[in-house]
Formats: sequence, C-alpha cells, structure tokens
Amino acid sequence: MKHKVLRTALYIVLALVGVITVFPFVWMVLSSFKTNGEIQSIVQTLLPQEATVDNYLNLQETFDFLRYFMNSIFIAVAVTVLVIYTSCLCGYVLGKYQFKGKNIIFGFVMMTMMVPWSVTIIPRYTMFMEAGLQDTYLSLILPVMVSGFGIFMMKQNMESIPDELIEAARIDGSNEFQTFHKLILPLCKNGISAIAIFQFLWVWEDYLWPYLMIDSEGKQLLAVGLTLFNGRYSTDYGGLFAATTISILPVIIVYVIFQKRFVAGVAAGAVKG
Amino acid sequence: MKRFLSFCLALVLVLSLAGCSGGGTSDKTSQGVQDTQTDKGLEVMGDNVTYDPNHLVNDGEPITIDWWVWATEDMFRSIAEAYQEIHPNVTINVINNPWDGFFTKLPLALQRDEEGPTLFNVHNSYEHLLLNYMEPYAIDTEELIADYPSASTHLMDGNVYYMDYGLSTGMYYYNKDLWTEAGLTDGDIPKTWDEFIDVAQKLTKFDEDGNMIQAGYNYNNYFNSTVIGLNYQFGDNLFSADGKESLVDGKGMKEATSFLIDLYEKYRVGDKDFGTNYDQSFYQGQSAIVFAWGFFVGNLATNAPDINYGTFEIPTQDGDTPYAYYRYNGESTPGINKNATDAQKEVAQDFIRFYLASDNVQIKLSQDGGLIPAKSSLMDAPELADTPIVKTVGDHIDRYIWPGAMPSTVENNLKIAGEDILYNGKEIDDALKTAADTIDIDLANADFTSSESLYAYYED
Amino acid sequence: MFKRRPLQSKSEVWMRNIAMGFLIIYMMIFLIIPVIIVIAGSFHQWNPLNQTYNWIGLDNYIRMFSYPTFWQSMGNTVLFCVVVVFFRVALGLAIAYALNSKLMKHKTLFRTIFYMPTVTPLVAVAYVWKIMYNPQFGLIDNIFGLDINWLFDSQFALPALMVMTIWKDFGYAVILFLSGLLSLPSDCYESASIDGANAWQTFRYITLPLLKPTMLFVVVTSIISYLQAYVPVLVMTTGGPGTSTYLSSYLVYDQAFKQYNFGFASAISLFILVLTAVFTMISFKVTGANEK
Repeated sequence: MKHKVLRTALYIVLALVGVITVFPFVWMVLSSFKTNGEIQSIVQTLLPQEATVDNYLNLQETFDFLRYFMNSIFIAVAVTVLVIYTSCLCGYVLGKYQFKGKNIIFGFVMMTMMVPWSVTIIPRYTMFMEAGLQDTYLSLILPVMVSGFGIFMMKQNMESIPDELIEAARIDGSNEFQTFHKLILPLCKNGISAIAIFQFLWVWEDYLWPYLMIDSEGKQLLAVGLTLFNGRYSTDYGGLFAATTISILPVIIVYVIFQKRFVAGVAAGAVKG
Repeated sequence: MKRFLSFCLALVLVLSLAGCSGGGTSDKTSQGVQDTQTDKGLEVMGDNVTYDPNHLVNDGEPITIDWWVWATEDMFRSIAEAYQEIHPNVTINVINNPWDGFFTKLPLALQRDEEGPTLFNVHNSYEHLLLNYMEPYAIDTEELIADYPSASTHLMDGNVYYMDYGLSTGMYYYNKDLWTEAGLTDGDIPKTWDEFIDVAQKLTKFDEDGNMIQAGYNYNNYFNSTVIGLNYQFGDNLFSADGKESLVDGKGMKEATSFLIDLYEKYRVGDKDFGTNYDQSFYQGQSAIVFAWGFFVGNLATNAPDINYGTFEIPTQDGDTPYAYYRYNGESTPGINKNATDAQKEVAQDFIRFYLASDNVQIKLSQDGGLIPAKSSLMDAPELADTPIVKTVGDHIDRYIWPGAMPSTVENNLKIAGEDILYNGKEIDDALKTAADTIDIDLANADFTSSESLYAYYED
Repeated sequence: MFKRRPLQSKSEVWMRNIAMGFLIIYMMIFLIIPVIIVIAGSFHQWNPLNQTYNWIGLDNYIRMFSYPTFWQSMGNTVLFCVVVVFFRVALGLAIAYALNSKLMKHKTLFRTIFYMPTVTPLVAVAYVWKIMYNPQFGLIDNIFGLDINWLFDSQFALPALMVMTIWKDFGYAVILFLSGLLSLPSDCYESASIDGANAWQTFRYITLPLLKPTMLFVVVTSIISYLQAYVPVLVMTTGGPGTSTYLSSYLVYDQAFKQYNFGFASAISLFILVLTAVFTMISFKVTGANEK
C-alpha cells in the first residue's frame, strides 16, 4: 500500500517534469504553423486556428536552412572524427607509455580545459586574420581538432586496458601503429562514443567563432543562420518558429532513434572520469 | 567500431563533396557578360557631378563586386540593377547583413582585402572604425559640394570618403484607424506636449482589470534614439562648447528623460512592459503612436503594409518655434574598400559617380528611405513633395541640429541608462552620470568633435 | 600491476614522438602563444582596426576595477554559475535517484525525455524561450496567468536565463548520475538494509559518498562551462535591462567585437581565467575533502 502511494507520487512528479521538458518543443512546432498575426495576438490558443505552412515555404525562399543544416553536420562530423583520433592517439601515449615530461604535458592538457574561450578568442582571431584563413572551414576545424577533455577521457580509458594484451600483440610482431589502430581503437568503443557525443554537441552549438569567421552565406552554419534570420526579419515570429523547428526537430528525431547509444556513451564517459 | 569510424569518414567525404560543389555554384551566380559597346546612346546625367554612361568599365570584362547593406536590400538591389543595365559586364552582389552585428562583421570582412566587400554602407556613428579601410571618392570635391552642400562637413584632408545622400530625423507616426476610433480628427494633431499627452491618453485602453491593452504612445526599445536631441527643447546642447565632452548628464537631458518617464508613469499613455518593441507593437496595431526616424516609412511598407498611418512633427513646450525641435542626421553614401583590387575599385568609383549623379537613384533613395534629399537640386523635386518627412518637417528643417558623426557609444550608453531608469529603478541623475562617464572615455578614444556649433542658431 | 618498462621498440619511440610532438606544437599555437598575446595585450591600448597598439601599463586593469559593469557582470556570472550548477546537480541527482528506484518502470522513456533538451542547439532553444517569456503573447505568462515582463525586469531577467539554462541542461546530470547509480555495488545496500538504515540514511551515508567521482565530474565540467556562458545573454537580453544580465564572457565579446577595445577585453578575460581556476580548485577541495 505504502509502495503504491509512493509509486504514484513518483510517477506524477516525473511526468510533470517530463511535460515541462517537452512542452516548449510542442509549442514551438505548433506555433510554426500559425500566422504572424495569430502568434502576436493578445488572445492566445495552443493549437493554430488556421494552420498554414507558409512560414516554412517563405523560409526556404529567403534562407536556405537545409543547407546550413548540412554545413553544420559536415563541420560537426569532421571535427568529431578528428578529435576522436587525436584524443585516442594522445590518450594512448599518455596512458600507456612512460617517459620524461609526461606529467608536464598532461598538466598542460588539463589546463586547456580550464582556459575559457574568452581568453583565446582575441589572439586566435588575430592569428587567423594574419594567416588569411577567414571564411574557410579550416578556420573552424583547426582550433578545435584537439580537445583536452577528450585526451583526458581517453587516457583514463587507455589505462584500463590490460598491458598483457598490448604485450601479446607486440610479441606477435605487430608494431605500435598496427597495435594502436587494430587492437586499441576497437577496445575503446565506449570512451569514443562518449567523446563523439560531447564533441558533436559542442561544435553543433558553437556560435561566436563561426559567426566571426564565416562570411559567405553558402558556408554559414545553422546557429549563425538563425541569428542572421532573426536580425533580418525580426518581426517574422512565424518564420523564426519554423527556423528553430528545422534546427531542433531533426536532432531530436536522430536522438530518439539512437537514444540507447547516446545514453550508454555519455554514461561511459562519466563513470570513468 | 571500425565500421563506425569508416562510416563517419565516408559521411565526411560525401558531405564535403556536396559542400564543395554546392558552394561552387552559388559563388558564381549570374556572372556578367562581356561588354563591347562603348557608346550606349545614353544621356549624360547630373548637374555638377556628372556621369557619362557611354564608356566601358573594366574594359568591358566581366567583374563581380560585393556591396554590404544592413536593411532595405531591395532598394539597393534595384539601384545596382540600374547600373548593371548600363554596364552588363558588372555584377553587384547586394548582401544583407543585419544591423545587429553589421559593424562586428564588416571590419572583419574588410581585413580580407580584395575578398571583402568592395562597397559597403556606412553609418556615421561607426566612422572611426571604418575610415582606415576607406578609399576617397575620385570626384572633385568642389563639384560634390556644389551638388551636395553637406559634403563639406565630411571633408577630411581635402578628401571625401563618404557623405550624406539624405537627411533624416525623427517624427511621430500615428495609426489613423485607431485615431478615428478614439474620436479624434485631423484637428487634434498635437502641437504642444500637453496636447500630445491629452491625445495619447485618449488612445490608451485598459481592460476591466486595469491592464493595458492598447498603448497611446510606445517608445520601448527606442528610448535612447528618442531622448538624444530632445534635450534641445529643454534648453541644453548635447555636447560642451568645445565639442569634446558630452552633456548627457546635463540639465537638458535630465529634463528630457524625466519627461519621457513621466509619460509612462505619471500620464500612463504607455507602459514599459506593454509591447517591448515599439515598432512591432505599431505593426500589430497595439500601439497608436510611435516616434521613429524616416526609415520607418520603408519598414512599414515591408512589415505592415495594411497599417493606415499618418505623421506629425515632434511637439514643443509651448507651440512656438523652440531653440531646436530635435536633431537630424545624414544617411551615408557607401564607402569603397581601399584594399580591393584596382579593377574592383574602378568599378566602385564609377558606380559611386553614377549613384550621386543620377537623379532617379537619389529620388528613389529618398522616397523609399523616408529622407529629405541632400542633393540641392532635388529639394523641390515634385516626386518628393508629398513624402511624409518632407510634409512633416520640411518647413523647419533649419531648426534641427546636426550633432556630428556621433560615435555609437552615445546611443549605446543611453540605451543602458534608459533601461536602468525604466526597469531597474535607478535614479535619473545616477543613470545619466554613469552613461556620461563611459561616453566621455570613448569619445576621447575616438577623437570626436561635435558639429553643434555649426548650427545657425547656436547660442552661447 | 607491473611497472611498464621504458620505451623499447623503434615504433614506440616514433609513436610517442609523433603524438607528443603534435600535441606540443598544437598547444603552443592554440594555448600558450594566445595566452602570452592576451597578457601582453592587456597592457596596451589595442584596436586592430586602426592598428593602435600603445603601451598603457596598468590602465586597462585600473579601468576594469573601477568599471561598474565589470563588477556587475562578475557578480552575475558567479551567481548564475552557482545557482545553475546547484539546480543541475540537485535536480539531476533527485530525478536519477527516483528513476533508479525499483518502483519505477518506463525508465527509458523518462530518460529519453529528460535528456532531449540537451541535444538541441542552444541558439535555437534560446530563441524559443525568448518568445516564451514575452509578456503579451509568451507561453509562460499565458499559462500561469501572470503579467511579468520576464526579460525586462531586473528582478526576473537573470533568473529567467537561469531557468532556461537549467531546463536545457539538467538532463545531462540525470544521465550521468543514473549511470553512476547503476554502477554502484549492490552489496553495500544489502548490508545497509540489514543494519536497518532508513532510505535517507542509506542515501546520505552510502550512495552519496560512492557517487563522489560522478559528482566531481558533473560539478567541474558544469562550472567551467557556465563561467563561459554567453549565448543566452546574446540571444535573449543582450545584457539588458540596463546592464543587469551582463555575464563576464558577454562583456568580453561586447568590448572586443563591438567596441574593438581589445586591450580592455583581454584584461577582463584574464580575470575570468583566474576565476575559473579558483572555482575549479574549490570544487575539487569540497568534493574531494572526505576522500583523503
């Protein structure tokens, strides 16, 4: 009896939190089918009174959000793959080798995690200007292709791989590069998927740096595209709802399909850390 | 795992291919065609600054330049198209970068030399950031001044880098339907602030719980632009006699500020929380009167074509001619990127000459932009006689003051001050003092001198 | 565990040289040199647009310490960080604990929902919330029948940003604590229930200490990321009303890329670096104290 009450209470509380979590998304999607007049009218309803898809149609005419979406995916995937590789490589060397200066280097790696973007962005900006790299994707990829967080996490991961395994591979005559690529990388699945998720989201969300670096409309990323849209059509709330829906909904769908992997990945990273 | 990695790699490859091919096509849109016709059989335009269309630019070879604008891109595009019609080998890409961030992105883009925009619109409050990247106009300055008298205020070391094509100022816009609905007629257009308060109160509506449902007057998000210049009516200039320091914490600004605050708090003709953007609230027909500059004419046409509106001049204390009604400012001609290639600069210079010499261009700019033309020959142009701004303030534009190319810090800090007073309950004196302190540091860094002393009725 | 012998084979040496060489060069270019540039820049009047770079000694720091907006932004940042981290941890832990209870079914469903906001792009979410906070047609005032101008009221503007951030990020903590809980050895609980400990005691004296590593991870990564938060401000309030929602990173952006006071912005950013270091150290101390 006591359990039943407790269970019901728990369910109610969690369901309430769940509704709060989801409701803004529902509202956003519904509002994207309303006309501007309806969105701003003093009397509000949840469901659109006269549903319209004009917001989406007008959007594609003026702003190619699908293109921004693809650009963002491209950059996010490219950076994520590079970060995974550099993190594994450095993590392996730092985790499994003994050599002088190792701790100093690792100390610096830990420091990179603490240095805020606001410190590095000014010199980084100056350097990239000097190098003439503005408006290239190189400028978006180079500064984030190594992640202190990633190296830290992979070092933990690598340390948990038994030395005997590596030793056995060596006796079999494989050199270190082969060992690393064929034996070590596949062993770090969990760590890798954790980094992949975090890194992907960070790049996906990054705003200021792409905003400063990218000029060409065709190369623009999603987050910046949204602010450009808002700046240009600040009164078009319907358009803004449609634009945010386009940038949010696909991610949610992908996430819901792969949510098991997501959760396992995130969890794997943290428990070790 | 391996499969996952190789899948990712494949994805990157595919996407990068797609990205490259896509980028390639969009960058090379509508390249101009070879132009061989030197004599186009067109008339020479202009009075003192003249433009003879019968020549080739860039030897008739196709060339593309970018032109950055922050608003009304259609208007600028139509001007670019008029030019392209004369010179089919030229393509001018009009690129709209929103005002928020325009002057963050533009300096960045200009550091890319010839890859940056060749032409870019200028706002004179950002002159100090841009001058270093600008090429002087290749037009005789005396001719320029003969056509555009205000160009003389933009002379720097004998050169003009940018100048005014029109003059703008603020005026009141009112919703005619709401006006009639409240039982008001044309005879009720206010001349004094007392009449203004009276009218605005009639236009303000509350529901039975006392919540505002319609604002008589709304200046939310526009306090700063409104108050700067209102100080003239309250007996103070904006800058000190030497033109170096702001009088933002002076008597005139304090009284102007407290007057605006009183409109909300004492006379209840609007509310800081009702319609957080004056313009959007006006578009929605939820605010009956707003104060805005000439550009609002264009904004209304694009954003709220159905709103039936009229304009009236800023009222005064007693209905008589004041020391000055308000301030005005110039709308600036485009700047030319000095680090562009010679070919790009040749096109840009040729375009600027066309832009200044062509009356059609200037009339369009003034009509669509809600401006008084800066070109003296167009002052009485019949096409412009009926525009809202000419009808409203045309008679005594000489009673408006130009404070100079006032750096953006003045507006930015008064925005903060206004919000501090309205929303954060800060004392007017304190808020304005804080603003003045920051403004003075920035003015010194920008090496600014006010032009107020050039005003014909400048006293003491 | 046997101690690893020093590097032997050639390929090991190569491997180390390549990886560490790359890492050192990379950190030089993207960490050490930038920090040196910033330190040097903070002593200069520095505007890259008109090539000003004049030595002015400590003037930037003097101006910084006497600049009211700087102190306000620092206060806001610390408050924002502490409140958001607290709620993220508290909510995350409570919900994870509830989900982990044997009474609950549909765990996956709840987990999926709670983590959803975390995967969505912050800029987009911030726009949606900005409209939700609108006093005339926003969702929040309409649902609760309130009449609050959230983003323009100095009492509510910063809390409004915090609420949005907590909503967006608490799911991350849920997932982490949940997996932390799942990995706890079950024999501890058995002995506890034999000893007759009640639910709260079990949580306080067994679960919480065992979750310490997860806690440290959540707290430290949260602190670091919230001290750098700026997107909500940029999208939703641009620092207003007045300067009441300036966060320090937004101030750096404003001074650097709107006013082009690079020197002044550098000085502020160095202060943020120091603040981050102090906060990180404190959280290590607090969380790790019992362990030793």
